[in-house]
Amino acid sequence: MRIAGAQLLDSREILPGQWLQAYHAPDLVAGARAGQFVHVRTGDYSGLVLRRPFSYNTIDPLAGTLTIHFRTVGRGTAWFTHLRPGDRIDMLGPLGRPFEVDPRNRHLLLIAGGLGIAGVRALADEAIRDGRQVTLLFGAATARDVYPSSLLPDEVEYVVATDDGSLGHHGFVTELVPGYEAWADQAFACGPAPMLRSLANLAASRRQRLGVATLGRKRGAGKTVPAGSPQARRKAFLQVSMEQNMGCAVGACLGCVVMTTAGTPQRVCREGPVFAAEEIAWEGGW
Amino acid sequence: MKARRRVVTASGTPAKRRPTVRRIKPAIAPIVRDGVAATVRRPAVPSTVTPTPAPPATPVDLAVDLGRGLVLRNPVLVASGTFGYGIEYGDVVDVQRLGAICCKGTTLRPRIGNPTPRVTETPGGMLNSIGLQNPGVDAVVEKYASTWAGWQVPVIVNVAGESIGDYVEVARRLEGVPGVAGIELNISCPNVGAGGIQFAIDASAAGAVTAAVRRATDLPLLVKLSPNVADVRPIARAIADAGADALTAVNTLSGIAVAASRERPLLGNVYGGLSGPAIKPVALRIVYEVSQVVDIPVVAIGGIAELGDVLDYLAVGAVAAQVGTAIFADPGLPVRLVGELADECRRRGLDSYRPLIGSALPKRAAPPSARGVEYRP
Ligand SMILES: Cc1cc2nc3c(=O)[nH]c(=O)nc-3n(C[C@H](O)[C@H](O)[C@H](O)COP(=O)(O)OP(=O)(O)OC[C@H]3O[C@@H](n4cnc5c(N)ncnc54)[C@H](O)[C@@H]3O)c2cc1C
Ligand SMILES: Cc1cc2nc3c(=O)[nH]c(=O)nc-3n(C[C@H](O)[C@H](O)[C@H](O)COP(=O)(O)O)c2cc1C
Ligand code: FES
Repeated sequence: MRIAGAQLLDSREILPGQWLQAYHAPDLVAGARAGQFVHVRTGDYSGLVLRRPFSYNTIDPLAGTLTIHFRTVGRGTAWFTHLRPGDRIDMLGPLGRPFEVDPRNRHLLLIAGGLGIAGVRALADEAIRDGRQVTLLFGAATARDVYPSSLLPDEVEYVVATDDGSLGHHGFVTELVPGYEAWADQAFACGPAPMLRSLANLAASRRQRLGVATLGRKRGAGKTVPAGSPQARRKAFLQVSMEQNMGCAVGACLGCVVMTTAGTPQRVCREGPVFAAEEIAWEGGW
Repeated sequence: MKARRRVVTASGTPAKRRPTVRRIKPAIAPIVRDGVAATVRRPAVPSTVTPTPAPPATPVDLAVDLGRGLVLRNPVLVASGTFGYGIEYGDVVDVQRLGAICCKGTTLRPRIGNPTPRVTETPGGMLNSIGLQNPGVDAVVEKYASTWAGWQVPVIVNVAGESIGDYVEVARRLEGVPGVAGIELNISCPNVGAGGIQFAIDASAAGAVTAAVRRATDLPLLVKLSPNVADVRPIARAIADAGADALTAVNTLSGIAVAASRERPLLGNVYGGLSGPAIKPVALRIVYEVSQVVDIPVVAIGGIAELGDVLDYLAVGAVAAQVGTAIFADPGLPVRLVGELADECRRRGLDSYRPLIGSALPKRAAPPSARGVEYRP
């Protein structure tokens, strides 16, 4: 974790109200992995007292650059759109824990709802670099909001669903998932909470549906891996990237917790944002 | 980047790392020079090449005595709940250069805290409703005290409870623990035994909890005032009379926010505490009022974001200041303020920051008045 200056190289509105910004920030790129995030300071402390968290959308260690992809939803995100190339801002990162791919797995299923694409985008790069096959299921309200395929690596199989049927599958992206369950070795998702919840339900019943025989040791029996550990995530079929409002983003304020099935709140900024889907108490828990 | 331990002394000689300093003796009052750190330790045998020393800056005495031997090397603390247990910011803040660390509110038993969302931004501030999530005093001691014991910077444990008995028991368990330098009572908690009325809003309840903890411990005892009261002065007096060593003021202001859908309040707990620059005028008024009616030191908290804010609080009678919300945007701020305060003293030709204290208070001692209350809208 470092605090470093980031210089804006390029800022573009790639979709209505959605911005893609590239920053030169070698200190924040070094060691950063897909699933982690930066906590970005606005230049206006008199009004905006909190930093804003954004996922690493892409990471280029050689050039020392990163991109963030965000939607303008309020005053903070609006502030960033007024930056001009050459402007320097202050970022804290890399923060949180990354996605963990089991090294034996070849087929990765990425599922993104809307801006959730920013949470899994870097994983597509990482997986392809490591020679894995990637299918990205993307859901949006309408064709206007669909992430441009030109911004994805050619190797990614890209499948789109829109709520209004204006492009691709007519319906929710979650409805596409059963078609890929047998193919996928592991799945990684980021998006609105209801989407993640239904994905978690699907993942929980996947083994029965597919008739996967549990050979040898049963899951959970034998060697136990500590909850919340990288190994626990690596073993999970579905990993989800969670969102919560944040104060510090370093684990100090306990503002960003999610409830876990163990009954202990975990910090999205420190133990997350990536969790194994089965770690999360999806029905609340307080 | 790893947290480095740096100690700067007036002469530029390395200060010895002290073992556990539960009470820091007034004798050590190291001086920060230009906010620039000198070496941590020099080799026992000096090398033949003597490095050219930096031009010595005039030393400025920033040490502050909060009572019962709790002497801080400088008057800039970090506020409870905004700096965790002192370790979370270790990569980006040199915590040893802080005056003191107030850790997250600690209760007798573990608490899972409030439902989310727990924080949100508001104009010039933020609301939080963490709900005192913490693992309980025993776990806090077990997990962190040995780390704190190795630090130069004193750690003050912020204590919360639902009954006088809770506060007393937590204080007992902290007594004598190496690494615990003092206690700050967060009395903005409902007294479950007394119908859920907060200790902080009632002078006799505030006095009673202070007196009970005072009897239970010899640790330096700070008590944190709530701003959510009509007149804070009788409460401050009751706490001082009950034997507190210092007062800290203020905790957050009660507030709410509404969800974007306008269908419900935003915070999971409905109510939250407002902090940040937005509360500074209120906190300033309270420090101004309190410092005129008690003889014990007052530590100011509320919206500090730059040196000018610290100077304002000193002017109305605070002897030290805690930085809270501003840390989230600018983790380096508290350490920077230490250097800037020394610079400011030098600029004014002072060798201590003490002349800055109380400069804006009424010049002659007047009997405590109710002025200010009348002007409250
Ligand atoms: C780990 C993480 C990664 C994220 N990555 C991205 C990303 O890559 N692209 C993107 O568009 N958005 C991302 N978000 C959400 C993004 O942080 C919010 O949209 C943004 O903070 C909104 O700020 P605002 O001032 O425009 O909105 P306002 O609604 O005015 O913000 C008010 C307050 O609420 C907080 N807030 C509001 N919505 C959210 C939210 N969904 N999550 C967290 N805090 C919120 C803000 O930070 C601010 O403190 C991420 C959130 C988290 C926790
Ligand atoms: C996220 C958060 C958590 C807090 N937790 C505590 C706490 O546990 N105990 C306490 O006494 N004060 C707590 N506070 C209050 C602060 O210590 C401080 O009094 C208040 O935030 C005002 O200072 P500021 O404006 O500089 O933030 C908390 C504040 C924030 C923002
Ligand atoms: S945002 Fe402060 S603990 Fe996660």
